Amino acid sequence: MEKSKHLITDRTSIFSSVLVMAVIFLLSPEVYAHGVDANTKQFLLANQGVAIGPFLYIGSKHMVTGYDHLLFLLGVIFFLFRTKDILLYVSLFTLGHSLTLFFGVLGNIMVNPYLIDAIIGLSVVYKGFDNLGGFQRIFGFQPNTKAAVLIFGLFHGFGLATKLQDFALPEQDLWKNLLAFNIGVEIGQFLALLFILILLNFWRRFNSFYGFSVITNTLLMTGGLILFGYQMTSYVLNV
Amino acid sequence: MNDSNIPVQSLKTLIISMLSAVFLAFVLLITVVGPAEFGIDPTGLGKMMGLTILAKPLEKNAKTVVSCPAGVELENWLDIVVITVPEASGLEYKFHLNKDAKLEYAWTTSGDKLYFDFHGEPQGDTSGYFKSYKEATDSQFKGALAAPFTGSHGWYWENKTQTPVRVTLKTKGQYTVKGLM
Repeated sequence: MEKSKHLITDRTSIFSSVLVMAVIFLLSPEVYAHGVDANTKQFLLANQGVAIGPFLYIGSKHMVTGYDHLLFLLGVIFFLFRTKDILLYVSLFTLGHSLTLFFGVLGNIMVNPYLIDAIIGLSVVYKGFDNLGGFQRIFGFQPNTKAAVLIFGLFHGFGLATKLQDFALPEQDLWKNLLAFNIGVEIGQFLALLFILILLNFWRRFNSFYGFSVITNTLLMTGGLILFGYQMTSYVLNV
Repeated sequence: MNDSNIPVQSLKTLIISMLSAVFLAFVLLITVVGPAEFGIDPTGLGKMMGLTILAKPLEKNAKTVVSCPAGVELENWLDIVVITVPEASGLEYKFHLNKDAKLEYAWTTSGDKLYFDFHGEPQGDTSGYFKSYKEATDSQFKGALAAPFTGSHGWYWENKTQTPVRVTLKTKGQYTVKGLM
């Protein structure tokens, strides 16, 4: 009894410190899911040549502050319990978005950023639905979850690519800046995952994890639908 | 095939969950996201909560500067920038020059005439003093300046039309770019 009480205080303190971090993060004024903030914009417009440091930073910042990517990742790892599985799925996501980020920017493939972000919103809805066992219950089969994460990874990569394509980046040594941006994205993803996993692992110790998993995934779908609606409205207004 | 143990919910739970997600998303989009992001506020709740202030009219206030634009030859200029002055607003673009330093310049607009004031402000001055070198309304302007004092020198452009006007500014001389102000 004594021991468990001690454990709970311990957990509470971890939880509260994580909560404080979350609040600070949410209050930071420069959190954007779409596009980049004014300072970054100025840098990207003025930049010439190779700038490894700044692109690393922009990449990781984009990931850490991009709630569309984060919601999707949360959905993907929600029911993954083994480290091996988490690594596998996150690697598939990374493979997917790296491929399209490079091909998108280097091949100068123009995709409408609003439509791409709308699809990213739908990827969140998909994962929430999947986590409720929706495919098995309604359609009687389970689509390959690895394939899904890879395919949606491709769309997320196009989303990253469109953010950079907004700026006519200098052709010279473009791939070096891109590589730096991509590595930055992975660093940001790693940090964000760490954060999500700490929260998830903590929560999984309680029965409420399963009790609330329906609500959580419903909210995930809600979030995805809001992103979808937001991006589609922007698309319609900007045509 | 499937490594995750996803608990399959009952059909009833699924339907309730889906309907709630759609309903909640719809309500939040109409009452919060729409008013705050786009100024679209069918329920009037957004205005009540003061959210519509956040929505800026689309494409307005897009002050942009593009350095070394594609398709423009540098020739013997040091810098070429394209500055977009949004409709019905003004902006300043400045250079830092030491006393007697030279700035050669030539700019043209994408068509419409702009009101401009070419002026300088001494470094460290807080009184708001500035010296005007040229004030006019035109679609082009060129010349050279020998800075009468150390400080920021540059243009204020005002676009009185209802469409954005692009200014292509070519410069050379002994200056550092301060950029958009």
